[in-house]
Amino acid sequence: MAVANELERKVKLSAPIPNGNGQPQGGGEVERQRLRTMLLIRRFEEKTYVQYTEPRTLPDGSKEMKIGGFCHLYSGQEAVAVGIAAIFKKGIDALVNGYRCHGHSLALGMSPRAAMAELFGRATGCSKGKGGSMHFFDKEVGNHGGHGIVGGHIPLGLGFAFAQKYKKNGGVTYCLFGDGAINQGTFNEALNMASLLKVPAVFMVENNGVAMGTQVERHSAERDLAKRALGYNMPTENVDGNDVDAVIAAMTKAAERGMRGEGPTFYSVNTYRFRGHSMSDAMKYRPKEEAEKAKLRDPILLYSEKLKSRGLVTQEQIEAMEAEVQSEVNQAVEQAEADPNPGLDERFDDILAETYPYQPK
Amino acid sequence: MAVLQLREALRAAMTEEMDRDPNVFLLGEEVAEYNGAYKVSQGMLDKYGPGRVIDTPISEAAFSGLAVGAATMGLRPIVEFMSWSFTWVCIDQIVNNAANVRYMSGGQYKVPVVFRGGNGIAHQLGATHSHRMESVYARIPGLITVCPSTPAEAKGLLKSAIRCDDPVIFLESEKMLNEKGEVPDDTNFTIPLGVANVERQGKDVTILSYGRPLQRVVRPAVEALVNDHQIDVELIDLRTLRPLDLHTIVESVKKTGRCVIVDEDWGYAGMGSGILYKIQKPCFDYLDAPIEYVHSDEIPVPFNHYLEEAMMPSVDRIVSAVKDVCYR
Ligand SMILES: Cc1ncc(C[n+]2csc(CCOP(=O)(O)OP(=O)(O)O)c2C)c(N)n1
Repeated sequence: MAVANELERKVKLSAPIPNGNGQPQGGGEVERQRLRTMLLIRRFEEKTYVQYTEPRTLPDGSKEMKIGGFCHLYSGQEAVAVGIAAIFKKGIDALVNGYRCHGHSLALGMSPRAAMAELFGRATGCSKGKGGSMHFFDKEVGNHGGHGIVGGHIPLGLGFAFAQKYKKNGGVTYCLFGDGAINQGTFNEALNMASLLKVPAVFMVENNGVAMGTQVERHSAERDLAKRALGYNMPTENVDGNDVDAVIAAMTKAAERGMRGEGPTFYSVNTYRFRGHSMSDAMKYRPKEEAEKAKLRDPILLYSEKLKSRGLVTQEQIEAMEAEVQSEVNQAVEQAEADPNPGLDERFDDILAETYPYQPK
Repeated sequence: MAVLQLREALRAAMTEEMDRDPNVFLLGEEVAEYNGAYKVSQGMLDKYGPGRVIDTPISEAAFSGLAVGAATMGLRPIVEFMSWSFTWVCIDQIVNNAANVRYMSGGQYKVPVVFRGGNGIAHQLGATHSHRMESVYARIPGLITVCPSTPAEAKGLLKSAIRCDDPVIFLESEKMLNEKGEVPDDTNFTIPLGVANVERQGKDVTILSYGRPLQRVVRPAVEALVNDHQIDVELIDLRTLRPLDLHTIVESVKKTGRCVIVDEDWGYAGMGSGILYKIQKPCFDYLDAPIEYVHSDEIPVPFNHYLEEAMMPSVDRIVSAVKDVCYR
């Protein structure tokens, strides 16, 4: 009981958790902010697409890719990241996810500049240009990565939640992964232990319907992914991942359960990926009609309409926001282009925390 | 002879062997309906159907173990890993099961499975996706480890690997899949496992290498050494890393008295350091200089392009190592 009281005290200290039922709070400022963040993520990703596909011409006339390596865009899934960010207690909560990490980072407050600079491999990037698209980290805002190995980070989420419980700091861990990742052994092992240890974790599969080119029904014996967590003795539900308010409501419930010391929750947050798996994916496996239909449930469209119908935002305001975030993103690109690469010798930095008598370069 | 991309050479090897032996089948992530993440298996689903070209979930431990189990029952699976970097999650199946079952059972089983896929540093994929797994697998008794450096080698060695009754680790480089080369169309063309190839005869120094670094930096370095520095290099393409063709290597080093090993692994406990250990004793009396090892910097692979380039063996580093051992 003492633990629970301690937790409640800590939780009260942090920002009030919105009720998530879509009711306006304080004139709709909070809601407009959420919409703006969704727009920012979308503009950032679409600009990233352009940057990736447009090589730069160097002084000697040769071409250079501005963004190298794999690049997985988040367009279409914005409501999930923004829904979590809406209740995320900065400095206390933790978020960890896979390689599709741009959206989560921006939602939690990473600056577009640090994000774009990382994609450009610059020293000013959130991981000093050493991580790249798949490995965004921002400890400050509670984004613990950006992990490139499918399913490899799910046990890390268990660990973050364990630490929160151990330190009794009232924090919750949001551990996200794609539908493909639930087929890794790590998923099974981590959920089982999380439940045994009653850690404050929310495990959620961002079910965008496809793992690379393999549709859910071809990779999961159970199509209803909420059911994949049956057997771990934790609540499990489907959530509309295109509806910010639905995400907020679900996360609030799970976070409260975690903070009460009752253990983890599992959600299948169902959404859609507008872009290919990565830049090289021509999406030949996807029927046009399916994509057209999905556009009707674009989370940004849904939320804009909802806010408009409630009188919380006008079309003009949305357009103004669009222009604002677009210029923010354009600026991020300009800065990233101007920013320096890390010095060649910096490749030896940040391998170990301490210095030892003999450390080879 | 036909000019094929390395990916086409791999596909040719697999299809020829699937035509020859109904027990051969292919499985892995995206190999079937997507036609292969890197299009190595393009068209194979259409040709052989979903019973023999099998898409798997992202469950490396399950499907690599499946292959080991099926192999002990007499089938001949080919497992495609999108990247060898992902096999850290299933090394247990490959090492504890594939490599050990025959020995632990007193030879009751054969395990004719091929594990193949992209290995090594690619292009800005960062630390998680750039592992060089050769030293991890080549040190395991019970496994054969192979690393082709041209499309022809890819075909000839892969066909031998599929016909081999032992588990074979077949390390390709994603960055080489587009490389073109002449490849024999003869369906009986194979290259034996366990035999190195003396690619160029020379008398001054022996260079040992394999796979992508051989193609990327060693061959250009050899050209520079021969043409610009008048150093007569003997170049050996190892092809198989275990069992290592020690005979060919030792004979060459005895002849030249000097040796430089080049790979993209980390130096400490890396592939080259294992080879160094193997040759220093038989060659000790013949060596005119300590053996040099040119390897990657001992750092996780950075994302930034310039840092990534800087960490890998370069033509310059090789030329300078060769000049060192030749005291030039
Ligand atoms: C262990 C492992 N296997 C394979 C891959 C290659 N890979 C990267 S992303 C991906 C698809 C993952 O799909 P999903 O988990 O559904 O996430 P989504 O792309 O839908 O967000 C695959 C197969 C990897 N990175 N790690």
